Amino acid sequence: MNIVQPFFKQCSDTPDALAFSENETAISYVDFKHRVETLGLFLQKKLIAGSCIAIALDRGIDSAACIYGVLSAGAIYVPLDIKNPAVRLNFIIEDAQARYIIGSGKAPEWLEQSEKWLDINEIFQQNKKAFMPVELEKTQIAAILYTSGSTGTPKGVALSHQALFNFSAWATQTFSLNNTDCIASLAPFHFDLSIFDLFSSLSIGASVHFIPDKLSFAPSKLTAWLSEKKISCWYTVPSLLSFIALKGAVETTDLSALKRILFAGEVFPMEHLITLSNLLPEVNLYNLYGPTETNVCCYWKVDRARLKLGESIPIGKAAGDAVLDVDNETSELKVQSLNNFSGYWQNGKLSALASSPYPTGDKVSLNSRGEYCYHGRLDRMLKCSGYRVEPAEIEQRISQLEGIAYCAVIGMRDKTSGQRPAAVLVLENGVNLAVAIKPLRGLLPSYMQPCKFIIVDTLPTLSNGKIDYLAIEGLFH
Amino acid sequence: MKEKIREFIFEDLIFVAEPEKFSDDDDLLEAGLDSMGIMRLIMFVEEQFTVTLPDSEIDPDNVRSFNTLEQWILQHK
Repeated sequence: MNIVQPFFKQCSDTPDALAFSENETAISYVDFKHRVETLGLFLQKKLIAGSCIAIALDRGIDSAACIYGVLSAGAIYVPLDIKNPAVRLNFIIEDAQARYIIGSGKAPEWLEQSEKWLDINEIFQQNKKAFMPVELEKTQIAAILYTSGSTGTPKGVALSHQALFNFSAWATQTFSLNNTDCIASLAPFHFDLSIFDLFSSLSIGASVHFIPDKLSFAPSKLTAWLSEKKISCWYTVPSLLSFIALKGAVETTDLSALKRILFAGEVFPMEHLITLSNLLPEVNLYNLYGPTETNVCCYWKVDRARLKLGESIPIGKAAGDAVLDVDNETSELKVQSLNNFSGYWQNGKLSALASSPYPTGDKVSLNSRGEYCYHGRLDRMLKCSGYRVEPAEIEQRISQLEGIAYCAVIGMRDKTSGQRPAAVLVLENGVNLAVAIKPLRGLLPSYMQPCKFIIVDTLPTLSNGKIDYLAIEGLFH
Repeated sequence: MKEKIREFIFEDLIFVAEPEKFSDDDDLLEAGLDSMGIMRLIMFVEEQFTVTLPDSEIDPDNVRSFNTLEQWILQHK
């Protein structure tokens, strides 16, 4: 098995069909395959099967070719968020024990292991030769997606070829994708939503259109773009869909090509979902649920008749082969599925799974229709702009700063959607807050930056001496 | 007007260690204003200053700094 095989088959069926578009550039299946082959062959000569290749490129055609090339050669792709602070990027490269880091141009300043840098433009200048993707065991790891970790450092979720294949095939079938589909792609490749954009699409001959970055700040230009590209399917996060529903000039934009919108990553505020649903009465909407460790394990096709203010939508029923179970005592959702991750990647190798089925940490219940409903977290994890954020990772970074004695991080509910981190600090004597926290911008990505700080003399504690997070939340109201 | 917007942005949208040192030309997007923040900012401005900012003009360049934001709002006052 190799997750790229369906794409190679598709290339012989529809070589001239459009595979990707990015700004003014478009590339056909066969031309994309040539790039993948060049990369695959180049990497195979370096005997990289089974090792990690970090990708330091923004989402786009080159980055997608890199991912397909790495997979063809039997290696593991580790997509980096190049907007992350240097310390986080270097940690990930070190933890993954990446053999190479592929980017564009010269090695960047932030990179500690610059001897491992490969310039994609140089690789593409190699001679073009046919290359067949390496046949692999289905349990072979294909991707490592780093997310925020509760131990204070990012953790790598290792996904096998089988896991990607199983999800990709389920999505293709469930959403009836075919070779006439035009799929919009906005999710960065380190975000699990991109698995759909990268693999479901090319397995059936659809085309993928990368949404220009700046359009996520300009909702009516984004809808105009969706219209111009005749986008038929888009998998994205609720916060952006809310922005479009409110400010996207949807009434005056021809979105007749759009057939389905899939959303995941955070709870869709009902008010905005109703607005979106009314503006796009012909579009099928799907609420997809699942942490990176399980990918989509539960989904609900939005039933418009059931959208009522003050109520929340269910996460629905099991997706594909997923077996869902709810813990009687804690109401925690547990998931067993072929989509499930293989374990966390630590220090260059796979750590065995701590437990199977996977405990999600999410509290759920079953309604009378047999659908699962989401009721928040059992632990302190936050959802910020669709990203999962562990307060412990923020706390660790803040604690390392000079002048900070203690700190605790909680989530403030955002009025529009999701949460935002906020911190309570105990400062050492004579320390100025502004000076103390100044280095934070270089240590944490923007979605992990606390939006508020409160200074206290001592952190509130429970009778057992543990930090009283409820009391801390109270400080922000 | 700028004062009210400053207060809202620094209280509700982004944290800046020393807001008094943040100039009217400094880049708000670099300081962490994201698409959700822009949405809330626009809704705040429309409500506070009874102005309608056309959807077609919502663009990173119009909200990049306090000065560009003020100019944009004044065009619709």
